[in-house]
Amino acid sequence: MTAVIETKNLSKWYGNVLGLSDVSLEIESGITGLLGPNGAGKSTFMKLVTGQMKPNIGRVSIDGQDVWNNFRLFSRIGFCPEQDAFYADVTGWEFLTGLLRLSGYSGADAADRASRTLKIVELSEDKDRKIRSYSRGMRQRVKFAQAVAHDPDIIILDEPLSGLDPLGKRRLIRLVKDFQSEGKTIIVSSHVLPEIEAMTSRIVMIHQGKILAQGDIHSIRDLIESYPHMISLKCGDPRAVAARFVSDTSILKMSFGPDGRSLVVETHKRDAFFNRLQAVVLETAIEVEEITSPDDNLQAVFDYLVVK
Amino acid sequence: MNPNINPGGPSLWMSFRRVFALFCFLGRKTGKSRVFLLLGLIPVAIAVVVRIVMAGRSEDVVAVFNEILMVFYVTFEIVILSLFYGTSIVAEETEGRTLSYLTTRPLAKTGIFLGKYAAYVTLMVLMVSASLFFSFFIMNGHRFREPALYLMFLRYAGALGLGIAAYTALFAFLGTFLKRAILIGLLFGFGWENVVQYFPGSTQRLSLVHYMKSLMPRRAAGGPLSILLFRLEPSKPAVAVLILTVIAAAFLGLACWLFRTKEYLYEE
Amino acid sequence: MATVREKGYYHWDGQLAERRFPWWPITRTGILLAFKKRGFRFLFAGAFLPGVVFLGIIYISENLESFQAMVRSSDRLINITPGSFKTFFTFPPVLFLMIAMMVFAGSGLVADDLKHNSLQIYFSRPLRKKDYLLGKMAVVFFFILAVTLVPGLLVYIFKLIFAGSFKFFLSYPWLVLSIVGFSAFLAVFFAFYTLLLSALSKNSRYVMILVFMIYLFSDVLYGILQSIFRTPYMALFSIRANIDQVGALIFAQKPVYHVPALWSCLLLGGICALSALVLSRKIRGVEVIR
Repeated sequence: MTAVIETKNLSKWYGNVLGLSDVSLEIESGITGLLGPNGAGKSTFMKLVTGQMKPNIGRVSIDGQDVWNNFRLFSRIGFCPEQDAFYADVTGWEFLTGLLRLSGYSGADAADRASRTLKIVELSEDKDRKIRSYSRGMRQRVKFAQAVAHDPDIIILDEPLSGLDPLGKRRLIRLVKDFQSEGKTIIVSSHVLPEIEAMTSRIVMIHQGKILAQGDIHSIRDLIESYPHMISLKCGDPRAVAARFVSDTSILKMSFGPDGRSLVVETHKRDAFFNRLQAVVLETAIEVEEITSPDDNLQAVFDYLVVK
Repeated sequence: MNPNINPGGPSLWMSFRRVFALFCFLGRKTGKSRVFLLLGLIPVAIAVVVRIVMAGRSEDVVAVFNEILMVFYVTFEIVILSLFYGTSIVAEETEGRTLSYLTTRPLAKTGIFLGKYAAYVTLMVLMVSASLFFSFFIMNGHRFREPALYLMFLRYAGALGLGIAAYTALFAFLGTFLKRAILIGLLFGFGWENVVQYFPGSTQRLSLVHYMKSLMPRRAAGGPLSILLFRLEPSKPAVAVLILTVIAAAFLGLACWLFRTKEYLYEE
Repeated sequence: MATVREKGYYHWDGQLAERRFPWWPITRTGILLAFKKRGFRFLFAGAFLPGVVFLGIIYISENLESFQAMVRSSDRLINITPGSFKTFFTFPPVLFLMIAMMVFAGSGLVADDLKHNSLQIYFSRPLRKKDYLLGKMAVVFFFILAVTLVPGLLVYIFKLIFAGSFKFFLSYPWLVLSIVGFSAFLAVFFAFYTLLLSALSKNSRYVMILVFMIYLFSDVLYGILQSIFRTPYMALFSIRANIDQVGALIFAQKPVYHVPALWSCLLLGGICALSALVLSRKIRGVEVIR
């Protein structure tokens, strides 16, 4: 698949403070999660991709065209900024139709699109209320609406789920996934790891302005050779299972839970362990209630990478 | 994507038109516009009071208009309006953190800037013209049948309009790169512009207000206040129009260039 | 599950001491924020210039022999009286400098809190509305008194020192009270004036314009009305003229405008009362949006 958005050696300074350092990425269509703590450089990256800032070094391009001062590209881009900011004294309807008209839609088309988008984000009933009377979640939804109302190919969402309640988050995540199935290119940033995990497995991890890792979350985890995988088992006789693995040289550590029913294993060779476990379960007829990988998630991977 | 949208992107003119339409709408809605509209009602109220108090003294009424109310418009009202709206072109977007809504639309940055400028200048010209219309015709009501009266009104309105355009361009330029543009603007508008009129020689020509006053119809014999209007021979009207236009165009050009090339970061 | 105590949290058995001046942190922050602006530091330093000039005049007045070559008509030109102090305090550039300081340091005092919804944060502390207002007003008091009371008293003291006697004090024993009283009046009035306008908008840029515009406009309006109606009562429209009238009253001088000074006091008092009313309505922990 060809990259839609490409950055080459992208670097940005704010005076002496490094915002982004030597970021080279190729982003294809689908959802790409940009993950990092506050101040990592996610918003800086998004502002560079949306042409709000000019790179100090390097280049950012969309379909081969430089983004900075290239306003023609913006009919294809929808941006949902992080800031909770709107024009004063406007209603949701006025805000959305106004911005649609800026995108080039006629009055009638803008009204039609605004109506449909407000329905999607469930703000139709509140469209004639002033935005400053909206709740935090409603404001977030209208911000999202202005990013997608003009049907862009590329959607850049900076912390889109912030301020939403759990149900609102689920709805928005579903919407984002719907856009993915339409073939759009979506970049979503967040510092809340489960949110990113719920949307996509394609992750770019960013920390202190640098890319820590990128790719599928599981393959990122597998690449971290220096840290063993942790696997937790819950069964009737964990010691019996443990006895079967004591002589296995790929097992680095085993520990038992205080409840007497759980076993936590650390191993370099996860796949080999699971194969062996399958055989052990069949041999011993021990009932395994639960198998989990406590560290096979974004948080653990991130923690490992940052410490590394 | 909208099939009606030009895939090559909008022209500068289209960008300008779209932004102009939006900010004409937004500018009208804000409470501040209503406050400034009220400011414009004050000369109208004074005009009504003067007509009542000075009934039958047409010469004095006209003198009050020419030498007092017009000075109010020229040295106070349009400076305040231009300062607020001119600096707002960029400052309200950066302070309100709404700049990204404009710069991530398919709009030329020059078109964004010029569209906002034109919208605010139009708003100000309408506010001031309405106020001027009422105060002028209230105070010159006894001369309705004279065609010269209407030409005089147009001349006043034109001078104020050109002044608004020039001041707004200057303050808009200051607003593109200064954080405290309002303070510098206040110093210029109420410091330099007032003080320079008392300087000897041709120093007056270094102020915008000189050229605006040069466009005003002048009374043949000066009253005690006429000295406030002219300490020096005014410039020719054509020269004044040219200078004001050039100043407006030059500052607008610089402002557009700065707006296009500068990055605007929100204060955290 | 471990209890809270076992987790290491302990109930504090002490008593929370109430701050004697709960408004002080607000004032301190407001002052420090103002000094962070470079332009304001220059302005503040410049605001002492009239005081330095006045001090120079005092010095010259006490050393006339040394300056006789420079000063031809010496005696009447530099005769320091309470009127000189009144002139210093009501000198239009001095008042203008105070307004400029309010534009710089005072316009965002309430407006920024309204913009950032900070009032909820303030009132989630043990802080009453009057503590908040007092804290904000004290910022204005600090700056106004710094350029009025401090130079005024210093000049008075130096006058006595240069004269080498207490004759001046004995001639005008009430002058110190006048200096303190008028400085306090200016501080209180400008505090109410600035906070009133700052509470009217969330946009501090707009408030800057209002602070300057209303002060200047009142003078312009006075000029217009005076030239039309030619009556001294039009001076009541001008904030500057009213301050001048109050100054004349406090320093026992003849008012410049032939209007009872009491009317000026009432007018400026009315502005303060209006300000108090608006502030009490605007300063709320919860914003009601209609």
